[in-house]
Amino acid sequence: MQFRIYRYNPETDREPYMQSYTLDRVENGMMLRDALLVIKAEQDSTLTFRHSCGEGVCGSDGMNINGTNKLACTTRLSELKEPVEVRPLPGQPVIRDLVVDLTQFFRHYRAVRPYLTAKSPEPEVERLQTPEEREQLDGLYECILCACCSTACPSYWWNPEKFRGPAALLQSARFLADSRDEDTDRRLDELEGPYKLFRCHTIQNCTSVCPKGLNPSRAIGDIRKLMLRRNL
Amino acid sequence: MSRPLTGLSAWLVQRLSAIYMALFTIAAVVLFTVTPIDDYGDWQALWGRPVVSAATALFFVALLLHSWVGIRDVILDYVGWSTGLRLTLLALVGAWLLILGFWILEILLTVVSPWN
Repeated sequence: MQFRIYRYNPETDREPYMQSYTLDRVENGMMLRDALLVIKAEQDSTLTFRHSCGEGVCGSDGMNINGTNKLACTTRLSELKEPVEVRPLPGQPVIRDLVVDLTQFFRHYRAVRPYLTAKSPEPEVERLQTPEEREQLDGLYECILCACCSTACPSYWWNPEKFRGPAALLQSARFLADSRDEDTDRRLDELEGPYKLFRCHTIQNCTSVCPKGLNPSRAIGDIRKLMLRRNL
Repeated sequence: MSRPLTGLSAWLVQRLSAIYMALFTIAAVVLFTVTPIDDYGDWQALWGRPVVSAATALFFVALLLHSWVGIRDVILDYVGWSTGLRLTLLALVGAWLLILGFWILEILLTVVSPWN
């Protein structure tokens, strides 16, 4: 199987280039991550990429595979057209090869304060939820922060410093939807203005690439609805 | 023009103005179909009706607001790299839309004027 992989070492390379590799032994059910590990072990130990759990839970190996952001560990080789083009997540500074600097991505994540904030006195038992209230978090809490969505979003490419991006906004929606959170007004106030939320033009790249099948675009729409309801 | 029309309000104005313009367009097509217009007098009489002229004025207000939010969005998206250029373009677009607004107002007032 043929691969073309983005290579760039800022210490030695003047500019990035695509390097070709051939994998003769492709086993049934093999994922792209497995192929990259074989290439690294048997052909080129300098090939650099992030990975960890190998089962789509840690979100470490997000990369651009044949033009679409995906997790290498959950992408079957059998579903990929050859030569398989593997590039780093778009729009992010490359540290080396397929490893990108996600500092800005996590800055936006921290900025939406992804934790429960309760001002009422702490109850003697846990802050309980009804099954219906808990259900509101489905489709939001499962995000693994792989950055596939935000780095596929044109609005995030255009305004990476100001637009929060779909991943951070999905997290914001997750805490806005939580019945135990008591900071709705401040959360919504923080997203007002032309950039943080309203750069989203419902392009929906985020939803189409999310490896967990989540819908950040709908979550952003829900935040808009909350803002609207509060202002009417 | 840009300060109050930002964030949620800009988003809302763009959607409401789009709905109004769509409804106005349908109503205008129906009106032109059912109202026979044979000469300039008929045409002037049609626009002289307060409901028609007010609805038309509102249509152009909606069009100008919709244009402002839309062009502003394009500028904010694509000219994020230069604050100076972004502000200059926003000012030029704002000024151009204001001029268009006054021009439309002048035309509408001329049509409904009893001395015309």
